[in-house]
Amino acid sequence: MDTSNLDIAYLALSAILFGLGGFGLLVRRNPLVMIMCVELMLNAVNLTFVTFGRMLDDISGQVIVFFVLVVAAAEVVVGLGLVVAMARRRPGATADDLRLLRG
Amino acid sequence: MLAHLASFAWDAPSVDLHALAPEIVVAATLVVVLVIDAFTGEEQRWAASSVAGIGLLVALVPVATLAYDGATRVMFGGGYVVDDYALVLKALFLLSGYVVVLLSTNYIAEGDYWEGEYYQLLLASVLGMMVMASARDLISIFVALELLSIPAYMLAAWRKRDLKSDEAGVKYYLMGVFASAVMLYGMSVIYGYTGSTLLAEIAPRIGELVTSEPIITLGIVFVLIGFGFKVSAVPFHTWAPDTYEGAPTPVTAFLAVASKAAGFVALLNLIYVGFWGRHDVYEPLMWVLAALTMTIGNLIALRQTNVVRMLAYSGIAQAGYILAPLAIAGSSPEAADQALHSIVVYLLIYAAMNLGAFAVVMAVARKTRSAEIDTFGGLFSYAPGLTVAMSLFLFSLAGVPPAAGWFAKIGIFQALASAGDTSGYVLAVVVAVNSVIAFAYYGRLMRVMWMDDVPDGDTTPIRVPTSITAALVITAAVTLVIGVVPGVLTHFTDPINLLALGR
Amino acid sequence: MSEYSEFVRQYLTVAIFAAVGIGLGAGLLGLGRIFRPVRPQEQKYLVYESGVDPVGTGWSQSQIRYYIYALLFVMFDVEAVFLFPWATRLEAYSTFGLIEMLIFVVILALGLLYAWRKKVLRWV
Repeated sequence: MDTSNLDIAYLALSAILFGLGGFGLLVRRNPLVMIMCVELMLNAVNLTFVTFGRMLDDISGQVIVFFVLVVAAAEVVVGLGLVVAMARRRPGATADDLRLLRG
Repeated sequence: MLAHLASFAWDAPSVDLHALAPEIVVAATLVVVLVIDAFTGEEQRWAASSVAGIGLLVALVPVATLAYDGATRVMFGGGYVVDDYALVLKALFLLSGYVVVLLSTNYIAEGDYWEGEYYQLLLASVLGMMVMASARDLISIFVALELLSIPAYMLAAWRKRDLKSDEAGVKYYLMGVFASAVMLYGMSVIYGYTGSTLLAEIAPRIGELVTSEPIITLGIVFVLIGFGFKVSAVPFHTWAPDTYEGAPTPVTAFLAVASKAAGFVALLNLIYVGFWGRHDVYEPLMWVLAALTMTIGNLIALRQTNVVRMLAYSGIAQAGYILAPLAIAGSSPEAADQALHSIVVYLLIYAAMNLGAFAVVMAVARKTRSAEIDTFGGLFSYAPGLTVAMSLFLFSLAGVPPAAGWFAKIGIFQALASAGDTSGYVLAVVVAVNSVIAFAYYGRLMRVMWMDDVPDGDTTPIRVPTSITAALVITAAVTLVIGVVPGVLTHFTDPINLLALGR
Repeated sequence: MSEYSEFVRQYLTVAIFAAVGIGLGAGLLGLGRIFRPVRPQEQKYLVYESGVDPVGTGWSQSQIRYYIYALLFVMFDVEAVFLFPWATRLEAYSTFGLIEMLIFVVILALGLLYAWRKKVLRWV
């Protein structure tokens, strides 16, 4: 593998972004912010794929990014729809308020 | 990179339309339902359910012709494979989709729900599962996973005006997207270190990297954990009971059976075709997940007072049994073969018995408007047919002959024993202990149904709609026939050989 | 190196990754806690609204109008990403590519048609 320092930096950046997104998802309680955290994680994944594609000189890394982008958009659209549906019934609800159903 | 583009020559891939016919039929049905829904008035809304049901049955025809033909069809450079394994599972997804349509027909028509969209989303989700059965490439596995999950998030929140249903949808959504992000990160690592997205190309390279690249372990663990969420393995199960209770009951049945089966199919594809050489990574992980899942699922199921939640936790425990053979799959080719067969058989039988149990719960809830265990009191006195059917499904879930469940469970034990090492035997003991625990809560529901008094003294018979009766007849017949003559099922599952594909 | 320690070493990567992930978040939050002075006053917990005392709750409802239109835009916008690779190599993909892309666009158009029939394209 042809590894340059820049590629390593990209990989480290995406790992940090992924960690931040995951951490945010676990500690933040606003459903909208949680969706944003998931987006951050997905974009970190995209960065990893593009970097690996560059390191391997292989096009499929970029092809995957296309699919991840589109699927991420679909996920956000559905997620926003769900959150709006919930907010209409329960304005200002946070994830902690979602406890009608207890595991 | 630019040099690649300059020498760009491209041949159209050969598309085998026969192999893709089941998927094309389902996709076409989806389009037809969409057009019907967009261009007809309220009076024709019932057509959506009929068209969806017929479409799912028609899609079984090409599955049958492909199975009769028997050849393994490989497309897109090995990224999409139609073989016996894929066909058996496609038939499973189509049939369970059809049963869910039967269960939904009255439920969705009677409530204040959007009807056309419901069936469109259901068909889209089934389509995703069918693609998953054939997917042998990281990209197609990812796309199939999202195609089956995203409609399911919306279906879980289908009772829009109900707080519980909204909550079910949001919880399922947040856990689901988190899981797919984790899985994708794992995939990116695997792609980066093996240089390919094709599982068949990953397999040989991943084996060579055992010592040189420990980070590949991270990739495998992340991908498997992502699907651990999908199959609601403990400790990634927290969404399952809440979503199951809040979602409309037919959707719960769909999630508990078809969606879970799709998660296992993905795990099988990944482990058998892609990660085969790394059993040092996936075996311990699966061992721990399986033992935790069945034990905790069963223990919490004991405390439930709601039948749907009880079935949800029993489903979690069953997922533990299905995971168990994966913990020994890598020890020898024979064990791998046994494990694969036992899992596929279990998935098929589990689908029949669990869908049946949900059908009974739905039929009873039409009268009692509740799914609390107490409301099942004295069911035998006014609905003997439903009671007998429910008992059959509960016997099956508990693994008592002649209902089909015993055969599935024997398969798991045989697979665990075939490894011939301590971890296999210990896990077999865990499965056995858990099967005994499970008797307690299945038996409790059984006692309430047969022996308790009717709680409100109302013994008017339940009027079961035709579609639910049809679903009950199908699932009960399958459960009973397989239980008495397992050869019916093994005739279809015996030719399955997933390992040969990666070689 | 023995097989066992090799095995543990591989799982060590997972542990390190998890530890760094948790440590990063916990460390930053902890660092903030150590360095910042803590003098709680009631006014400090008010929502900042340009120096004026806030009126009502922070979670006031705003009109969610036309949001389905916005969601549709997001969806169709990103779907266009699949058109670009095809458009750059139009000749090379020839008839096969054209048919494939037609199927893709027709399915997308069906979605738009559906949205129009369901009257979500109007200002409500």
